[in-house]
Amino acid sequence: MAEKIKLYDATKCTGCRGCQLACKQWNDLPAHQTRNTGSYQNPADLQSNTWLLMRFQEMATDTGGVEWLFRHNACMHCTDSACVRVCPSEALFHTSYGTVALDQSKCIGCKECMVVCPFDVPRFDPKTNKVSKCDMCFARVERDMEPACVKACPTGALQFGDKDKMLAVIRERTAALGGKGYLYGDKFVGGTHMLYILPEKPAKYAELPENPRIPISLVAWKDWLKPLSLLAPGVALAGALLHYLTKGPKDTINKQEGGV
Amino acid sequence: MIPQKGMIKVSTAFERVIHCYLAITCLLLIITGLGMMFHSLNFLAQPFGGLKSMKTAHTYLGVIFIPALFISALLWWKDAGIFDFPSDIEWLKKGGGYLWHVDNVPETGKYNPGQKLFFLTVVIFGLLMIISGFIMWFPEGYNKETVNWMYALHALGLLAILSFVIVHIYLGTIGVPGSAGAILTGYVPKSWCLKQCPKWLRQQEKEDKLEYFEGH
Repeated sequence: MAEKIKLYDATKCTGCRGCQLACKQWNDLPAHQTRNTGSYQNPADLQSNTWLLMRFQEMATDTGGVEWLFRHNACMHCTDSACVRVCPSEALFHTSYGTVALDQSKCIGCKECMVVCPFDVPRFDPKTNKVSKCDMCFARVERDMEPACVKACPTGALQFGDKDKMLAVIRERTAALGGKGYLYGDKFVGGTHMLYILPEKPAKYAELPENPRIPISLVAWKDWLKPLSLLAPGVALAGALLHYLTKGPKDTINKQEGGV
Repeated sequence: MIPQKGMIKVSTAFERVIHCYLAITCLLLIITGLGMMFHSLNFLAQPFGGLKSMKTAHTYLGVIFIPALFISALLWWKDAGIFDFPSDIEWLKKGGGYLWHVDNVPETGKYNPGQKLFFLTVVIFGLLMIISGFIMWFPEGYNKETVNWMYALHALGLLAILSFVIVHIYLGTIGVPGSAGAILTGYVPKSWCLKQCPKWLRQQEKEDKLEYFEGH
């Protein structure tokens, strides 16, 4: 199956939050009471019942004006996913579209994915003792439909399709923007399956890592210590067996060496 | 494993119970931990009714392990936590006579330096497992970098403890015949003491503290 890409073109986004609502509706995520923080951003952060959040950010411009930045914040669907690497129960997995889906029935609530995710996406629900996150509407995509958020987008800021096709769309769009659009997502963690076209440098966006990567401790843990933690006890076991066979057990019965 | 008349008492009932408590919780923690660490070992979760229940079991076994570790540390600190210089270093250099032929292996007290190393490994890495495990259980209050390293340290602790546990079980059973009595019935043959803890034996004899098995 061809890899799929969801493109969020912030230069076309009006911040209507249709995507956020469509996500809640399709995935049957009930709303909870939230608090007004003086921003359109509501709730304040991703939650176990909010897998997709529209972020609203006010930014002062050099000329003394104000610019309003929008960002469609959901799982980035990394190719080299830290969460899939750590998941002990294979609840998190790569789909044939390259996206990262979550089989909640397998989740054991260890929270490891939440800690290693470079984009701070998975959320824990204490009621179910399980983690949840955007799966890019795996069930819809499997049935040849677009993700619910893309379906709801009225301006074409969200687009979904095969990787080749979407890369062509991005080339065309960035050319049209004439150097005023920044592509985000293609240069790290093996490339993400949600890509952004941003009107400002990624560094200006809140909660958006400039250079997200797999934590070095995860490499030490999974690539070095994990195999070693089988190898070392294996060597100990083989050593004990060889010791018994070649040197033999210690003589603790006879009082003198060679005595009877 | 029935003690014979004339055997020497080397452990109290309390020590044997604590050793058993520590050993069982430690082994169960290793099994449940390995079952989560490797997808190929996920089947170890079957008796627990699945991975999620095994994760819960692992967490609470960890809590049950805490008193076992602390009591053990206090109980054996004096005999197994402190090295004698320079005889223990000499013993370690000679591999205790276990690995190649050695004339005149330095005499050892209640525990030999190998056992002391194992004791210290369990205490230090056990403490590391408790701290890292607790942070992994409640990762929300810590910065992610810290928690990420806790995962790595938890794996390092397994590596150290499991490797040493295997050697410990080998030497405590078939590797040094007679040793298992020390933690099962409490009695070992005098010939065993002469080989394994001659200094301690002489000391006890001098102070007239030796207890012999006198039959039921």
